[in-house]
Amino acid sequence: MAKKDKKKVSDNSCGCSIDDLMNYEAVSYSNTDHDRLCGARDSDMEFFIDPDPEKISQEFYQRRLTDGLPIIPPTRERVDSFLKYSQHHPDDVIAVLPPKMGQATPEKIAINAVMAGCLPSFQPVLEQSIKAISHEKFNLTGVNATTHPVSISIIINGALTRQLGLNTGVGCLGPGNIANATIGRAIRLCLINIAGAIPGVGDHATHGSPAKYSFCFAENEEENPWESLHVERGYNPDDSTVTVMAAEAPHNVNDHRSQTAEELLDTVIHTATTAGCNNSHVPGELLIIMGPEHAQTINRDGWSKKDVQRYIHQNSHLPVVLGDRGGRKLDEKMIINGNIPITRSPQDVILVVAGGPGRHTMISHGFGSGSESITLKINTKPE
Amino acid sequence: MKVKLTEREVLNPLGEVQDNKLDLNPLPYDFDKVSLVDNTKPGANIILKVLSKSLGNREFLCVKKPAGAPATEEQIKKAASSDVAILALGDCGSCTSWVVLDAIRMEEEGTPTISICSDYFAPFARNLAESHGLKCLRILEIKHPIAGLESDEVEEKALKIVQNLLYLLQIP
Repeated sequence: MAKKDKKKVSDNSCGCSIDDLMNYEAVSYSNTDHDRLCGARDSDMEFFIDPDPEKISQEFYQRRLTDGLPIIPPTRERVDSFLKYSQHHPDDVIAVLPPKMGQATPEKIAINAVMAGCLPSFQPVLEQSIKAISHEKFNLTGVNATTHPVSISIIINGALTRQLGLNTGVGCLGPGNIANATIGRAIRLCLINIAGAIPGVGDHATHGSPAKYSFCFAENEEENPWESLHVERGYNPDDSTVTVMAAEAPHNVNDHRSQTAEELLDTVIHTATTAGCNNSHVPGELLIIMGPEHAQTINRDGWSKKDVQRYIHQNSHLPVVLGDRGGRKLDEKMIINGNIPITRSPQDVILVVAGGPGRHTMISHGFGSGSESITLKINTKPE
Repeated sequence: MKVKLTEREVLNPLGEVQDNKLDLNPLPYDFDKVSLVDNTKPGANIILKVLSKSLGNREFLCVKKPAGAPATEEQIKKAASSDVAILALGDCGSCTSWVVLDAIRMEEEGTPTISICSDYFAPFARNLAESHGLKCLRILEIKHPIAGLESDEVEEKALKIVQNLLYLLQIP
């Protein structure tokens, strides 16, 4: 049973402590001498208990406020514990999210974060993630509404990775880590409840995607032979950042035998160069989540990160006859010798190192040219 | 002693929405120039061709814009330079979104618009238009699906909405 609520004590509930009763400032007797009891007389004591998670989960599920999984009831007490970590006033509008054009305030983000099972210290990451996806270049309007199974990949870099205990190694794409699992989930719940991206209502993905439950991880900077994503994008190594990218669910690249950079990257390219992805008719960003062992093999050959990005860009293309089958007509200016590249430039190859031992890399096609990834710095001290 | 147990309240996760109202431009009584805004979705060009034929001897300005992404400022200005703009096609989530939002941008430029959306996505189109302040945005429905059909099948579906277009434009 929960402790007696302090706020209610000073609100004249009976069961007041002697200190409360003697404190005239806190306990105001509204009536005269003949009525000396506290205002709340329907009981002698009032205790506050947390709602039953099973009951609240069912109620919220019926109101289409969840992703289908059980939730933690977002009580005022829990939400307030998140707001202590906020960078803003609880009612500040951080972003307005389409299609419903709902206002994302720290309080609304915190409510959804509680529901997702986040820890209070995740609040700054969530606030910056929401700010990032609201950037015009991210095109959340298209990303939320599309029939394409695009999810939002959230990549964390910097010191905060360690402070929050994000998984950068074995199984970083899940399951098993509270930060990776719930940060992505909280963003999805914000999209459902603040943006209105309810499947079949504001989110029209033909099949949806398992990656829409959560697709959050941190870069394995310790085992990355190259500069990490946030440094590549102009931040200091000590800065903490969040990068959001509209991305499909990841696809594996299994290569146990290649011993040179070129051989190994050819396997990656072959997996990436497929008809039917958005990149095949509207070239755009391609996420490569390279396993540390693959990265070491390539680095051993003296290849820099830029070399890898250039090689992937230059060699990832497919015949126009296969590429031009998407919703939007292929831009003929993109055709080179009857082929269409799946990226527009080496910078479109978003290369991060993450994962544990093993000779695997994961790739995720983006939303084509319909969305650009955004990186923002995360401040953890209140302003 | 009476003990009262009170269950703590849970907070509402839904985002607040600001009331925002825009004005819809009236369709002109008579008009000479029509923008045909093609987002390059399969069948969009055929639908626009069928509809333009029904409008007789008028000047048509063809504007291409990307599906699933916003038109450029230049494309919006060009499309809004006519007396009325017809946009096609909203037959998926992202393309419907940007047909509707680009139509609203043209309305804000002072040009009346008619957006062609498939009947499956039309309710979403209307909700989206309302969220952006233009509940009454003109949306003309065509039977879903369009993509994956032969040209003559798309033509047949387009011919079925010609009367609705003429009614909207008050053309006898």
